[in-house]
Amino acid sequence: MLLLLAAALPSLLWDGPPDTAATLRQAGIERIQVPAAQYESWKSAGGLAVEAAHPDGAIQLSSPGVQYRANVASATTTPWLVGNGWRILRNPRGRFIYDAPGAKAALAAAEASCFGADAAVHTDAAGLKPFAEIISMLRAIGPNGPPVADIGFIDDGSPAAGEVINLLVRDNLLVKLVAKPDPAMKLNVAFGSKEFPKEEAGNPPMMAHDIRGHLTDERRSLRIFGSAVVVARLTAAPDGVRVHLLNYAGAERKIDGLRVRVLGRYPKSHVTAAGSPADELLDYSVDTDATEFTIRELKTYAVIDLAR
Amino acid sequence: MPGPFPGRVVKVHSARSIDEESRAANPDAVRQMLTAGMLALTGEKRKEDAWRRFISPRDVVGIKVNCSGAPQICTHPEVVAGIVENLTAIGVPASQIWVYERFANQLNSVNYPRYLPDGVHVEAAEGEYSRGTVLGYDPRTYVETSFFGEDDTRSNLVRIAAERFTKIINVPNSKEHQAAGVTGCLKNIAYGNFSNVARSHKSSKTFTYSFIGTLAAVEPIRSRTVLQIMDALAGVWHAGPFSRFPQFRFYPKQLWFGTDPVAMDHQLLDLVEAKRKAEGAVSLFDRSPEHLGNNRDPNRNAFIREPGHIEYASRLGLGVFDAAKIQVREVEL
Repeated sequence: MLLLLAAALPSLLWDGPPDTAATLRQAGIERIQVPAAQYESWKSAGGLAVEAAHPDGAIQLSSPGVQYRANVASATTTPWLVGNGWRILRNPRGRFIYDAPGAKAALAAAEASCFGADAAVHTDAAGLKPFAEIISMLRAIGPNGPPVADIGFIDDGSPAAGEVINLLVRDNLLVKLVAKPDPAMKLNVAFGSKEFPKEEAGNPPMMAHDIRGHLTDERRSLRIFGSAVVVARLTAAPDGVRVHLLNYAGAERKIDGLRVRVLGRYPKSHVTAAGSPADELLDYSVDTDATEFTIRELKTYAVIDLAR
Repeated sequence: MPGPFPGRVVKVHSARSIDEESRAANPDAVRQMLTAGMLALTGEKRKEDAWRRFISPRDVVGIKVNCSGAPQICTHPEVVAGIVENLTAIGVPASQIWVYERFANQLNSVNYPRYLPDGVHVEAAEGEYSRGTVLGYDPRTYVETSFFGEDDTRSNLVRIAAERFTKIINVPNSKEHQAAGVTGCLKNIAYGNFSNVARSHKSSKTFTYSFIGTLAAVEPIRSRTVLQIMDALAGVWHAGPFSRFPQFRFYPKQLWFGTDPVAMDHQLLDLVEAKRKAEGAVSLFDRSPEHLGNNRDPNRNAFIREPGHIEYASRLGLGVFDAAKIQVREVEL
């Protein structure tokens, strides 16, 4: 089981020389991938599990974060998130590589885990400790269950559909890519159908908004209030659900207070948040059809396990 | 709201209330104006009895100031100090008085504590380094609506207003507002008490027409806001509420008193409209797209203004808008 979990955790892709091993250990790194050409020289480095990286065929992902573009005129003041969730959803069996310097290494690892990606994160010395903290957290919380989704999206693989999926993820509309309408979904969206024509995707935010309107906010399994830079996900758990909160601005700024609403009655909760002190959830309420709470502080990643 | 005096507005003028050069208020003149205004509003003979009509020593009192143009223009600390002086004089302990705003950077720029007795709290819902936080708001009291498709559709009430105060004294100042037309009693108690309200403006469109009254009508704000005191010592007739351009400030040298925010704001609308007319600026009610633009020009504005929000609020029962039914009493000191 531990081996399986370790295999599912994002790897650190490290191209420094073997004499950096002590730096890695000090930062809390236990396992690395190195370029195949350096593998032999790294084999003797003590205290680290070393594998040879095989980047061929891996999909390069963007360094996750926020682009505020304050000096650029645009149709919206909503910060632009650079997220890779939609690309991971489109390639569930893909292998991915992030190039994420500094504290963004933590966000990259959290994003990869949250979306279930087989990913390696290439970072620099400043990224080692944040990466190790997230890996430690991922180990502590254990594996995720299957994702919970409200929307089944029939993807035609086009760039336009990709952008719509990106915006659905970014707007916290829980989406699953399906080959045909899934009766378990609250809403099925066939991209290019009469109801959701391709021409509408010329304005992707409008199409995402239209999909949200068809679903309705009342039927959304998960909603968040208080930040425009957080992506939330939901995975199933044996006796409840797991809420994932990814702060895409986390490398620069923590969030003080985020309100979360989850459909369903969950009187029990447990929070795990990387880099934040263990904390109780605030203003916890369980109503007839939903559970709400406030997380006091969100750095890069937090997981809230809710149980019946 | 509208409280015991619907349609009644008392205006007290004192030529020595503020120095136009230094923008400093005269504490003695302000004290006299507060007393004259409260006596005229209530008909009482003693100022203590006038204040006791609204506040008792057991109350926890929130004084809602307006600092959105601070430090250039804001609720004058001398006015707040005068109100606190009267509250403590009728037995409200300083520790039961809060001066509050939404944003700490604006509130702190005024330095209210320097003017107030020890023990009075000065508190913002959102801290200097935590702008946008939800922690200062009550998660259970909110208005939920979508204006432009935003994902966060809630505007929550300031937590101390929801959980702590038994009475609120609303102390706005007299300003034009580039979205709402004017920002007076209604907007100060509405947008000044709820989170996530800037989402109601985008490009040249603003939903202030209905949102201001809707927020002001939310309980417990509506029933706990017992007194309106408009700080019209100084005002802004264009490019409000922030007042970056001193040429658009003016000095009515007045304090207004009432319990009806609609009647008070109708008076504010008339005041700002008259000043704009005197300055040759287009009406607040102008909706011409050609007047959209950089508001350094008094005939241009970023939004199509919605001064109709005041009449809309009257339809929610928040006060009297009909000019024929508003009784204005003017006091000259």
